[in-house]
Amino acid sequence: MSHGNHDPFRMGFLTAVEDAERGFVGGLLITNRFGRPLEFQCTAPVKPNRAQQILYGPTLRPFVLGELLGRTLIDKIGVKPHLVLIETDEILDLRQHVSIPVAYFVNKVTDESTQLSLGKLGIAFHPDYLADREEMVRHAKAIPGDADMREPFERIREALAETIRLGTARTA
Amino acid sequence: MKDGSLRMLDDMIARRTSDRPSDGAIPAPHLKLEPSSGSLDELLSEVPCEQVSLGVSAGIYSSGMNVALQRWPQIDTESIVAPKSPALMPPWKPHRQKVTTFGITFPEGVALLAPPAAPEKGKGPATDETEEELTSIEPPRPASLMDEATLAEAKKKLTRLKPPDDALSIEDRLFYLLQPPLQSWLGGQEMIMPFEPFPYQYEGIGWLFSKSAALLADEMGLGKTMQTITAIRLLIRSGQVRRVLLVCPKPLLPNWQREFRTWAEELPFVVVEGDSERRRLTWTMPGVPVLIVNYESLVRDFAAFGEGEFPKFDLVVLDEAQRIKNRTSRTAETARALPRRRSWALTGTPIENRPEELGALYEFLEIVPPNATPDLRQLQFLAKQFILRRTKNLVMKDMPPRLDRDEYLELLPAQKYAYEKAEKEGIIHLNDLGDSITVQHVFELVLRLKQITNFDPLTGESAKLDRLEADMEEIAASGGKAILFSQWTKVLDWLAKPMEKYGALLYHGGIPTKHREPILTKFKEDPNSHIILMSYGTGAVGLNLQFAGYVFLFDRWWNPAIEDQAINRAHRIGCKSQVIVTRFISKDTIEERIDKVLTEKRELFARILGDGDDCNQSLSMNASEIFGLFDLKARHGKGTKNIGRNKSA
Repeated sequence: MSHGNHDPFRMGFLTAVEDAERGFVGGLLITNRFGRPLEFQCTAPVKPNRAQQILYGPTLRPFVLGELLGRTLIDKIGVKPHLVLIETDEILDLRQHVSIPVAYFVNKVTDESTQLSLGKLGIAFHPDYLADREEMVRHAKAIPGDADMREPFERIREALAETIRLGTARTA
Repeated sequence: MKDGSLRMLDDMIARRTSDRPSDGAIPAPHLKLEPSSGSLDELLSEVPCEQVSLGVSAGIYSSGMNVALQRWPQIDTESIVAPKSPALMPPWKPHRQKVTTFGITFPEGVALLAPPAAPEKGKGPATDETEEELTSIEPPRPASLMDEATLAEAKKKLTRLKPPDDALSIEDRLFYLLQPPLQSWLGGQEMIMPFEPFPYQYEGIGWLFSKSAALLADEMGLGKTMQTITAIRLLIRSGQVRRVLLVCPKPLLPNWQREFRTWAEELPFVVVEGDSERRRLTWTMPGVPVLIVNYESLVRDFAAFGEGEFPKFDLVVLDEAQRIKNRTSRTAETARALPRRRSWALTGTPIENRPEELGALYEFLEIVPPNATPDLRQLQFLAKQFILRRTKNLVMKDMPPRLDRDEYLELLPAQKYAYEKAEKEGIIHLNDLGDSITVQHVFELVLRLKQITNFDPLTGESAKLDRLEADMEEIAASGGKAILFSQWTKVLDWLAKPMEKYGALLYHGGIPTKHREPILTKFKEDPNSHIILMSYGTGAVGLNLQFAGYVFLFDRWWNPAIEDQAINRAHRIGCKSQVIVTRFISKDTIEERIDKVLTEKRELFARILGDGDDCNQSLSMNASEIFGLFDLKARHGKGTKNIGRNKSA
């Protein structure tokens, strides 16, 4: 079956888990519009050192999760998504470091200028990149209205827990 | 020159002397100046002096760099993007920490399109990424017997794929963990599902999907076919398998074809049939995801291929896998020799007579070494990992009830006379045989007596027929449909006439295979056809007749498992209302005694096996039990025997 020049819509789901001993582990899952996986990338655990903790203070988490893990994962992923979805706006500034639209979930669309319906939920874009929203309007129609867009994050968390478990088992 | 220098020195000394404070606190360290001391020349004459020439020339030496030093330096400019807004994080870092990553890419699945004729209300072609707009496809319809509460609960609980125990590499484990829940995968967007599977069926599909060796042993009627087809579909869709071979008994070929069309309309399949040349072509035809073949053709065709020439399959599925329980049979040997990566076996009766029969199935699944004889403990251990068995008792909340009623009927006078005469003569005959008596002799007598309980061969009188007619009147009046089973085609042919008024249809081994499917269609669709007369051998397995609400067992089979298989033609997934099963048992006859033996055995095994598995342990009667029907004892060489029935029995 030939797809011609058609580039089917792909979504990236980016999240991370924190292991008390080993630090943060980030994961990025690329799926087709129905949630079927195409590629998955995860990072090795990253634990900020004392100097970083002092220097970054409250901005440490956004820095590690967004700029360090998120940006690395997006750079490394082979199947590039059209949209990267994150769970909260904590690492929305990641958008400043990547060329792919980044959006976070809101329960209800309250501002049509910066937000968009996607599946059962709404997504909000970075206020400095409102063109992202216009770009995604077309793709959003390809997502089933009853799709649970938060579900893939559960899969990533389980996969990351598994990698930590196996990593710990191997180093033990 | 000398004078000039000395003058300067004099001046310096004079200046230093005049600058000194009058109190003379810090005297000069080297010179002790006193007015009375002699002239300067005298002083200097004591210091060794050397004349130094001050005439230094100022010429430029050629070093090769002179020209370069005279050039103007080149300066390039570069624009810097200033941050748009002040941020807490400094946009520039002296060093970006390196993060190690690990990734897996999922294999590209086979995207198959549904037949073009499919679109109709609520149905569209299987969508693919070629269409960006979302095709309007309704989610699968919940089975009508699911009430609201069950439906809500089922929706809440998602079925996630679990990595199999033998998946050790992180890539393999992540592959399963990252798959979407089956409910959303089969939610009707990527794949059309005509009906919403039940929760236990989702579980079965997920279990099969992740297993390379699996024995799905659900009780008959719980949807093994649908679970298997859906799991195959998902494996093909996710690129895990590309070529599947499904082996089934010959009578079930039409059933599998129909089920594939229902549950996986986009999946092309080919039945291996026709003459040997055509079959060979079919075996080697490229690009066919699913091949369906019956056991007999498989054995024949496998032998026809040279060693190592038989095509390879990613998955081989054996339906009614008890067919290979005898591990030395050609069928079993062929099944084990098939080149394959995954092996699944389907059967509602994994153990028909002896637990060791499981060993043959395990050998096909390649989870025990060849000719291994695992003991009971090992069988149980392997069963936990490789067998999935659910009984209706366990999932009964998903099924409408089955009402069993045993009708104990008095023989009619002519029947009774014929029966008593035959039994008396038969026992005398057995007695006369003495030591030469075999189980076959007893068996023949049992059959003769059972036939008389069905109807008197001379007069045609039949208590069972009278009762059946009474029931059928009511069933036909209410528009219901019934299935009647007998072990003899002769009885079925005899019943066809009195049942004609209820639109009776015949379905037994005497009917050519190609005529059978239209008979089933007519039974399903013709409102005037209220009863189908089936033999246990032909009608007991694989057929889906869940629209029939009544089942009659006109006579009893030796093995309760076969009876259950027969009943489950009607009492299976998709049936909308309760199924009433009527067993005709003639009082004070051999039927009653057989029923007692089978009931006792069933109860005994239910106590041992537990888990609600009380109705499908297929336990045929053995030789000593058949002898025991007439209070005879099985002979082992020279033995004494009690001939004749105990009066108290």
